[in-house]
Amino acid sequence: MTQRLKEVDVVIIGVGLVGTMVAKELAAAGYKVVGLERGQTRATVPEFQSPGIHDELRFDVRKALMQDNTREPVTFRNQGSQVALPVRRWESFLPGTGLGGSMVHWNGQTYRFQANDFQLATRTRERYGKKFLDADLTIQDWGVTYDELEPHYDRFEYLLGTSGKAGNIKGQIQPGGDPHESPRSRDYPTPPQKEHYQGALFRKGATSLGYHPLPQPSSNLSQPYTNPEGLKLNTCVFCGFCERYACEHYAKSVPQTVLLPVLLANPNFELRTGCQVQRINLDSTKKHATGVTYIDAVGREFEQPASLVITSTFAINNIRMLLLSSIGKPYDPATGQGVVGRNYAYQTMSTVASFFDEDVIINPFMASGASGTLINDFAGDNFDHSGLGFVGGAFIGAVNTNGRPIQYHPTPPGTPNWGKAWKQAVLKHYNHTVMLSLHGSSMAARQNYADLDPTYRDAWGQPLLRITFDFPQNDLKMAAYVTAKGVEIGKAMGAKQVAGSPRKGPYTVTQYQTTHNTGGTVMGDNPKTSVVNRYLQAWDVPNVFVIGASNYPQQASWNPTGTLGALTYWAIDALKNKYLKNPGRLVSA
Amino acid sequence: MKYAAPIAIGLLMFSSLPIMLSAAAKPKNAAKSATVSVNAPCDSCHGANGEGMAAAHVPRIAGQSAEYLKKQLDDYASGARENPIMANFAKALSEAQREEFAKRYAAMSGPYLRELVPTPQELARGHQLAYQGDESRRVQSCNGCHGPDGSGVAHAAPYIAGQSAEYIGSALKAFQTGTRKNDAGEQMRSVAMRLEDADIVAVSAYFSNQKLSNPSKEHP
Repeated sequence: MTQRLKEVDVVIIGVGLVGTMVAKELAAAGYKVVGLERGQTRATVPEFQSPGIHDELRFDVRKALMQDNTREPVTFRNQGSQVALPVRRWESFLPGTGLGGSMVHWNGQTYRFQANDFQLATRTRERYGKKFLDADLTIQDWGVTYDELEPHYDRFEYLLGTSGKAGNIKGQIQPGGDPHESPRSRDYPTPPQKEHYQGALFRKGATSLGYHPLPQPSSNLSQPYTNPEGLKLNTCVFCGFCERYACEHYAKSVPQTVLLPVLLANPNFELRTGCQVQRINLDSTKKHATGVTYIDAVGREFEQPASLVITSTFAINNIRMLLLSSIGKPYDPATGQGVVGRNYAYQTMSTVASFFDEDVIINPFMASGASGTLINDFAGDNFDHSGLGFVGGAFIGAVNTNGRPIQYHPTPPGTPNWGKAWKQAVLKHYNHTVMLSLHGSSMAARQNYADLDPTYRDAWGQPLLRITFDFPQNDLKMAAYVTAKGVEIGKAMGAKQVAGSPRKGPYTVTQYQTTHNTGGTVMGDNPKTSVVNRYLQAWDVPNVFVIGASNYPQQASWNPTGTLGALTYWAIDALKNKYLKNPGRLVSA
Repeated sequence: MKYAAPIAIGLLMFSSLPIMLSAAAKPKNAAKSATVSVNAPCDSCHGANGEGMAAAHVPRIAGQSAEYLKKQLDDYASGARENPIMANFAKALSEAQREEFAKRYAAMSGPYLRELVPTPQELARGHQLAYQGDESRRVQSCNGCHGPDGSGVAHAAPYIAGQSAEYIGSALKAFQTGTRKNDAGEQMRSVAMRLEDADIVAVSAYFSNQKLSNPSKEHP
């Protein structure tokens, strides 16, 4: 039997980065906010402390911080003609769970997208003509511009204390930064992290080819920092355990270190953990949400009424929450109609392994998740795509994050996968190899989408999310082109052997690539091609806001978190200054 | 537990400073002479076996990592770490001599001096800070950097297990007040500024009551 609880002003589904940011602002503004988190509460002390947190088997191999896929997996297939099967072990991407969300195990790479990215469809057609894009691509503009987001990017970077070097302040190009970046209003709050040796080798090689290396913007901090919320962060120690782990050191910017203590101290906010939200409830008109229904950790079902519902779960779970709640029309790839689940995209990752002589000592284990050096010369639209037959690009960098013993074993092509020869090759190359990453964009395509699985259900009896995805030809062409550039850099770095591995299809869900799942509840200015308007308000149910990387119409060349933080502050601004003063549609359809 | 006033004792100890300095300032001797005469200036305070002099806040340096000791001597010489007595010694030594001294004490295994008896409350709080940290103060565990059981991590962090409570306490105070600032990335200053006086007493007492279970010199 469902127990009906007392109504609150705002209910937030998922207390990760977005949930924490929204809850903090709205609670501070005087609203009664309840945050429902399916996982457990956790803090730097005691949960993230070493030596336990440096357990590679537990966290890296067995994915201890991730969504429990014995209870709540997703199903996957490459094409609509196939039968999707449940992903029983996370590999390709790693959605987190628990207080602080996936950000707890992030690398701290804190990029901005460029002005071009937010108007990709318009600008691509303007520059290259209307027939330039492959017919299967469904890319579109975001409905918000870089200039509108800039103050929110700035605020987010100062919340995190991001360590970096500006390349363009108000139109003035800054030496040492990224000359391609869109103008920022001021420099990063803290200077870049120290450059490791592989970064220095990359810088030398890239510079010799005329490219523009820059320090990776890092939210593993280069020096102590007190953020505008009054919270103090420490200097990163380059332990090499960022991604897939939590930071024991108060040096990585995550909700626990930059914001949660402020939120949890506010009596207007109530955190409830172990709460699995089943659906957002609608009234009989289906145009207004009345709250949410959830099941707690001991199996009791509750209805939490609320005037405003924010779904801020991990990107793919936002899609599922709307589908389970019958909010928005599900996307149908056969007709191209519908919006929820449409424009699911990812990231197109390639690698270049550069093998050096044994007198070149790399020490790959001395790194943070974002202490690398990279170039943006082949990212986004920073190079002329005329005649290339694809849109998008990749950043190229010596951005390796670790040299951990179980999973970091670079070996040259042709090495056996096991046995004595493999062991000898690992010994020979472990400390003398630079793995370049090519972090490529992912264009939305008509055939790639997410919907509810017709067969498989979760531990609570709800249909799983089904992902249908393969790399569009556009992205494979991009990967081949950019990887060739990466190989040239590897050679210019002085490597004796350079092995480029451009991403090739079919996409496999059994090999780690990135946790940059995007799209499916995309934003835009047309309700026929977007789920939420430019303020992330659901077109069909105005008192539901959907916030996540699920809002991205397609994925750009960079890690998504910086843009997600900016979008969240942008949406908070609209909530506080527009919606909550006069609840209703912020944009007329 | 209370600290005795250490400064007067410390100054008395160094009345023979000029003599010790002249002994150390002869590189020819250092190159060939026996251990005893070369160590003599250090022995006076740090003990013949590197056991230190707790009451005078002189640290135990026996078995401390050579990298750590060398960095401290370098920092005394350059002024990055301020201490008038140690500065005089360090400046009189060549870089090669500083390395030699560091290695010599790293190879020692002196006795543990325990002059203060911790209370059960101090032990409990110290153990908490050592192994777990304190979220309410945003302080991570000591052992996260100082190694298993505070035994040190060569190249990175000194052992603190078995160090005298007096020295740990004065070091934390120096970091807290900013009179010592040769810590990479302000790591120790960041931690010490968040500790209460009672925390410093407790964690100092706790580590002074431990033994070096796994000396850092065994980790290459």
